[in-house]
Amino acid sequence: MFRFDVYVPKDLRDALEAFKIYGEELVPIAGGTDLLVLYRQGMVRFKALLDLWSLRNELSYVKLEGGLVKIGALTTIDELSSSELLKDKRFAGLRDACKTFASPFIRSVATVGGNVGAAHPLSDITITLLTYDASVKVRSLEGERVVPLKSFFLDKRKTVKRPDELITEVFFSEPPNNASSAFIKLDRKVGHGMGYVAVGVYAELDGDVIKDVRIAFDSMGRAFPERALMTENALRGMELSERNVDKVVREVLPKEMGRISDYRASAEYRLHLSQVLLKRALLGVGRRVRGE
Amino acid sequence: MSEVGASRASWNTYRDVEVSFKVNGKEVRVRVKPYERLLDVLRNKLGLLSVKEGCGRGECGSCVVIMNGKLIPTCLTLAVRAEGSEILTLEGIAPEGKLHAIQKALLDTYSMQCGFCFPGVIMASKYLLDKNPDPTEDEIRDALDGNICRCGSYLRFIKAVKLASKYIKEGKVFFDESEVLR
Ligand SMILES: Cc1cc2nc3c(=O)[nH]c(=O)nc-3n(C[C@H](O)[C@H](O)[C@H](O)COP(=O)(O)OP(=O)(O)OC[C@H]3O[C@@H](n4cnc5c(N)ncnc54)[C@H](O)[C@@H]3O)c2cc1C
Ligand code: FES
Ligand code: FES
Repeated sequence: MFRFDVYVPKDLRDALEAFKIYGEELVPIAGGTDLLVLYRQGMVRFKALLDLWSLRNELSYVKLEGGLVKIGALTTIDELSSSELLKDKRFAGLRDACKTFASPFIRSVATVGGNVGAAHPLSDITITLLTYDASVKVRSLEGERVVPLKSFFLDKRKTVKRPDELITEVFFSEPPNNASSAFIKLDRKVGHGMGYVAVGVYAELDGDVIKDVRIAFDSMGRAFPERALMTENALRGMELSERNVDKVVREVLPKEMGRISDYRASAEYRLHLSQVLLKRALLGVGRRVRGE
Repeated sequence: MSEVGASRASWNTYRDVEVSFKVNGKEVRVRVKPYERLLDVLRNKLGLLSVKEGCGRGECGSCVVIMNGKLIPTCLTLAVRAEGSEILTLEGIAPEGKLHAIQKALLDTYSMQCGFCFPGVIMASKYLLDKNPDPTEDEIRDALDGNICRCGSYLRFIKAVKLASKYIKEGKVFFDESEVLR
């Protein structure tokens, strides 16, 4: 382990200015539940940390504004799960993701911005936000830009964000009343957090017909969360029935999904789990929309 | 700009930083390194030995304390973040010479084997009971699911938290040592 300095900015502007002085050797830290683990494992290098915790009064919020649901980057998982706004059935998937997220003491410090910034497949909030077709707001001294979450990741631990940019917010359109979502993760042990397979589903129903659907997995082949677009297309317009879902999950999903084998699970097992969990999540969303 | 341990002009300064906070009701002021963890400062500089390092990576819960009303892993918290905060460790949960209801309940249920996980388990239980004085079994399991006990006392912890909840509801939060030592 190496030594480093810490810079505590007084506001967002001050934080962005700090990159002018320290350059790329300055790395932002939010909850630190991803970064400091990597640090301990010797998997990251930096000369100084930019401590974003002091920006929490500016960047911790969950609000509805102009038809958009906006979540500040420094909102903790705890704050997200207890936010009044998300009590509604339309956000059930986000609540699922918070509920199964790590343990209470990780949830009190881990942030939404850090979950996106981690650019890791097993990022539960990110998977769920993909199903809401969320966008990421990033800021630098040059100004603000908005990047769709689905094009934010380039590889494991690589994003389109430049080192001098900070994530300030994620946002998505307020879902209609006939919509709901679900998130399911299969895990060896509750509380450890990193599952074998995780799936998020969002759907809008018109009676029994799937009007719109978005599906995201921890991985579709590349080592970051992605949408299952072919499967979504196959389901759109279909009646949401066990038979239909079963067929699509068996015939379409394997065509677009690539799974890896490692010491935790084989590729076959991961694909099988993906199919089973997707089916369960889709049927669950149906019940949630109907208020069952 | 406020700088902590960093010099604008040069690298590798790693200057000590003075951090003031309240721990177990007492104001403290310590010099820490910018890269130091809160865990090490509480243990080594302030002698609060209840704060234990199990995994050092957020997975075991043996290092947790309550900081500004939140249960946090001190192994993943920079010491500089303590500035201006209020911290509660196991040492501060009961007045000198007394035991907290949770401690009494853990003894009553014969939960202790080696006891290494106890400080974390007690802080996590207190965090739960402060917010939710009458938790269900599922809520207790959820509250303790980040605390690893290598001796496997998990089922007794559940009994203990239920018992502690009963004691607290009866208004018995603190116990004399004579009431518990056998
Ligand atoms: C025991 C344990 C269990 C876990 N369980 C889960 C789980 O169940 N589900 C899950 O999804 N994750 C889990 N994680 C991973 C981790 O907690 C999450 O990824 C978390 O959301 C990271 O947030 P953070 O605020 O701690 O990020 P940090 O560690 O502070 O940062 C993560 C990365 O994002 C960057 N970053 C953070 N904030 C910003 C910002 N505002 N702007 C620019 N860059 C930024 C940092 O530079 C860093 O590269 C677990 C971790 C541990 C230690
Ligand atoms: S030592 Fe902090 S959680 Fe294990
Ligand atoms: S009693 Fe030994 S680790 Fe819990």
